Amino acid sequence: MAELSIRDLTVRVDGTDILKGVTLDLEKGKTLALMGPNGSGKSTLAYAIAGHPAYEVTGGEILFKGEDITEWTPDERNRAGVFLAMQYPVEVPGVSLTNFLRTAVNARLEEDKPVREFMGELRTAMSDLDVDESFLQRSVNEGFSGGEKKRFEILQMALLRPEVAVLDETDSGLDVDALRIVSEGIDRLRGPDLGVLVITHYTRILRYLTPDEVHVMLGGRIVASGGPELADELEEHGYEHYAVSA
Amino acid sequence: MTTSTAPTTDTPTSLDAITEDVVLDRSTAAGEPSWMTDRRLAAFKTWLDQDWPNRRADEYWRNTPFDRLVDVTLPLVEPVDAECVELAEGVVDTLESPAATVTVVDGAVLSIRVDEDWADRGLVVESLRDAAAGPCAGVVSEHLGSLTTTGTGSGRDEDRTISTNDALWDAGVFVHVPAELEVTAPIGIQTYATRPGVHLPRVLAVAEHHARVTLVLEHLGGDLPDAPRASRNKTPVLVDEVVEVIARDSSFVDVISVNEHGDDVAFLSLQKAGAHRDATVRHYSATLGGATVRLRPEVDLLGPGASAFPSGIYFADEGQHFDVQPYMRHIAPRATSDVLYKGALQGKSRAVFRGNVYVAREAVGTTTNENNRNLILTKGARADSTPFLEIECADITAGHGSATGQIDARHLFYLQARGLRREQALRLIVLGFFNEVLEQITLPSIGERTLAAIEREIDLADLDQVNVSAGRVDTPRD
Repeated sequence: MAELSIRDLTVRVDGTDILKGVTLDLEKGKTLALMGPNGSGKSTLAYAIAGHPAYEVTGGEILFKGEDITEWTPDERNRAGVFLAMQYPVEVPGVSLTNFLRTAVNARLEEDKPVREFMGELRTAMSDLDVDESFLQRSVNEGFSGGEKKRFEILQMALLRPEVAVLDETDSGLDVDALRIVSEGIDRLRGPDLGVLVITHYTRILRYLTPDEVHVMLGGRIVASGGPELADELEEHGYEHYAVSA
Repeated sequence: MTTSTAPTTDTPTSLDAITEDVVLDRSTAAGEPSWMTDRRLAAFKTWLDQDWPNRRADEYWRNTPFDRLVDVTLPLVEPVDAECVELAEGVVDTLESPAATVTVVDGAVLSIRVDEDWADRGLVVESLRDAAAGPCAGVVSEHLGSLTTTGTGSGRDEDRTISTNDALWDAGVFVHVPAELEVTAPIGIQTYATRPGVHLPRVLAVAEHHARVTLVLEHLGGDLPDAPRASRNKTPVLVDEVVEVIARDSSFVDVISVNEHGDDVAFLSLQKAGAHRDATVRHYSATLGGATVRLRPEVDLLGPGASAFPSGIYFADEGQHFDVQPYMRHIAPRATSDVLYKGALQGKSRAVFRGNVYVAREAVGTTTNENNRNLILTKGARADSTPFLEIECADITAGHGSATGQIDARHLFYLQARGLRREQALRLIVLGFFNEVLEQITLPSIGERTLAAIEREIDLADLDQVNVSAGRVDTPRD
């Protein structure tokens, strides 16, 4: 059984049905790409997996290691090993980044990691992602540039070591250099123990993170699935002809 | 060094029924010089002409119903036998090698300790009465009341709670920092209320030119569960305080005011500074205790280039009414003021923030900024926030802002999505909210004390009942 298994999921936001029956399996060690135009429901799927309270699951289920997690709180999901890198990471004023990271890591491990060990891992993750030391003095995402926020998301992913990671448009707003650094950072974390779902509008991040499967979402449904070659096709022809069939 | 006021009559007079004889007797019994007695009597004349504050007649009391919250029939407190009181440890007790510490209990200065090195270098900390009879008499006479209703200073205060203190102040503390002396260690003044009645503490601090000083004013005591109350809202203890700070040219004065009164106290406090040429006055207040608090941190910017940085936090819980009213008066040109107050509320509680900035016609080149933020944690709490600007001069830079809100659902989701439990996340968000003020605190022990107090308040909160703002507005849904 897949690590993360989404079965016929329907999701409603603000009274509107956005997902209309999505089925998707993500196995450990695999990278899936979920592509689709704006408004197709990609981010809704990401938030529903992470457990955002505004995203109401009206049908179907989300299984993680065989257990239905649709009733779990966001923190329970994260501690179990499900991670969402957000498209728009939130600024949390005044909350010290270092303090936040340490609390998060200890919550995920369910133990107190010694400060020295934690700081060692943090510094390694920071240097891997080319993040400046001054970050340690800042508040969570406060005053970060778009690129810095995305790097910080991947930095957290590195420290929290999820088993399933959903990357929601992590490539958006990144210039070429930042995209390379972030993608390499993600690639370093890939391995037999991690399943990755890359949500993206464009193919450029997939040049760094070759997917095992590509799925196309449109109108709240998955309308096509295939291998990495499907991404190249989309790059060339766009989503238009799916729109017709959907 | 101990000074005490002997009670003059067998039956204590209620504050409301004070007569000129009471003022005269108290002053005479304490052996005060005649100029001081005269000043008290002058203040009492003003007092007679005034009425108690009234929310309908007085704009500044609009949101604080004095008649319902303050018991003016309480008698003046009588000094307690020093041997018999047990005093809780305060933040002043944790200051690292303070330059001086003063303990005031129930209207009497109980003890004053001044570090010998600082005393040798000219620092004076003594009771106001001793100071008025000693070498500093001239300084005391020049400045006492100069920022309130008596004397010849910049401000006349029309509020009867101030003339009350001017006429009847009991425990007075005097601090004098001679020119060019930079007192790098803090001076702590602890004021305890252990008995019912009206407490009228007074502080006069004078920093001469290029002097530097940090004052820590701490208010404790006031848990008197057995004391009779006139009504449910009226407390058996009224502390009506006036603090005057004179910051002469290029001096730097840091005032830290920590209020951790118990539930049986109504605390009214004017903490007012006059900042002369290029002087800097910082003021930080932590308002945490007491049933009713009305705090007025004020700075008159009297000299060109003076600066004022008042900041503070408050955290009100069930039954507390806090009213914070900073007032910055830009009298001279090119002065700066930056006001920042942040408060959280929970339970059935009330916070009032009225920030005032006045810029006189002559005060060209003024820079002023004023901000207040309130965080409503649970249902039933209410905050009223109004920053006022009264500007008579066009050539200035002024900004102000005010916001009252709940915990932001987006913040909560983000932290929870990274594995933090709801209560861990809420705790970090609340502490983060206060951080902008807390990071300005210069004394580590004060910062720690404030943090611990905020943590205690969060522990009191029913985190399941915390209101969270709707988070849907800008969450993407594609």
